[in-house]
Amino acid sequence: MTLPNAPLVPTGWQTIGPFFPRTFFQEADNDLTRLALDAAPTTRGETVILFGQVLQEGGGACVNAVLEAWQADAGGRFRHPADPEASLADPAFMGWGRAWTDAEGRYAFRTILPGGYRDATGTRAPHINLGLLASGVMRRLVTTVFFPDFAAANGADPVLGVLPAALRPKLVAVPEGQRDNCRAFRFDLLLRGEADEETPFFLD
Amino acid sequence: MSSPPDRFGPYDEHTQPQVPIEHYANTVLRNPRRAPFVRPVTRSELTGPLDLASKLHPGDINLAVLDGKPAQGQLIHVGGRILDEDGRGVANTLVEMWQANAAGRYFNPLDQRDAPLDPNFIGNGRCMTDEHGRYGFFTIKPGAYPVPNSNRWWRPPHIHFSLLGPASLSRLVTQMYFPGDPLNAHDLLLLSIADREAQHRMVSQQVPTQQIEGEWLGFTHDMVVRGRHATPPLH
Repeated sequence: MTLPNAPLVPTGWQTIGPFFPRTFFQEADNDLTRLALDAAPTTRGETVILFGQVLQEGGGACVNAVLEAWQADAGGRFRHPADPEASLADPAFMGWGRAWTDAEGRYAFRTILPGGYRDATGTRAPHINLGLLASGVMRRLVTTVFFPDFAAANGADPVLGVLPAALRPKLVAVPEGQRDNCRAFRFDLLLRGEADEETPFFLD
Repeated sequence: MSSPPDRFGPYDEHTQPQVPIEHYANTVLRNPRRAPFVRPVTRSELTGPLDLASKLHPGDINLAVLDGKPAQGQLIHVGGRILDEDGRGVANTLVEMWQANAAGRYFNPLDQRDAPLDPNFIGNGRCMTDEHGRYGFFTIKPGAYPVPNSNRWWRPPHIHFSLLGPASLSRLVTQMYFPGDPLNAHDLLLLSIADREAQHRMVSQQVPTQQIEGEWLGFTHDMVVRGRHATPPLH
């Protein structure tokens, strides 16, 4: 018997497998600053490059992983009804992008340095949420990228704060010069390794 | 547009796959040793992109014909609804799907199995759900195929689905199976989910042929993404 208003059970996750279509990827899918390939990039905020390498147990490259990024705009807002300030959000900023890793496990996103915001959980430091899909990953692996520019805000972030202090630096991207005349930040992911090496992931 | 869900509980582990999976080495190499950290749900998890159409271009819903030429295999229609946990249809969900051809081979350079490629079948599509959460694709029934180095584990015919819903937390990647296939009971990916009812819900249902006017077989398959509403629906 199903009770009135009894919830349906979410469908089981499965891996993307080894054959996620390459033709699903188009130029600029990994560019969060534009709504579409032929749209102009947003003019609000500092454009930055987030790049890195995805490694699996033993340090080998995790090839053909799909990374999906989602973040607030430069003002810390989302074009979404769950944001009370959605009407003030940057209309030209996509905030979502998808990248896939090459033969060395490398990925890159072009985006805007996000803004922080306050909600019921506290004050979120500027951050980018990453979801990772790959053959053998049966459920999306999720983690969050923080920036060294905001040390004080990072120290008060309610999500970063659930990690033991020794692991928090692992989720802070590392400045690594310039790419395409933008500041570049490196964020590597080790999917499985020793406790002091493995990237911290959150329960999705 | 109706309001998106605002409550997201953790998954019931019995209804979700558990790793590692025998004969699938990547389920060891690519899954963390450490248990995931439980985080509070904040605005960046409750939100998600609502305008993916401009980026991912839905509209490719007929995989069974390429440049006017039909693909090899049994013509089928696969459709259903994307629902949230309250049973409400989720409009504006981007649905991506991909599958092997009738011989069980993918149009992907990484699939080097010695089975024929079909020049008229690519095998992937995208659509956006309508206001009732409905989606649908014409395609051909995919073939089964053996998994390399696996002691003769065969994947049953299946279709991969990727759903991008109204919140980051309603993201879902899954696979759909076909009713009555003897390989289903032995598939290690389906069996990685402990709950038998949860397994069963990943198997589509065949539409009675009397209800279909064209020359194809129909399968219905609803998928449930996470999310409930503070205000329950009226029944």
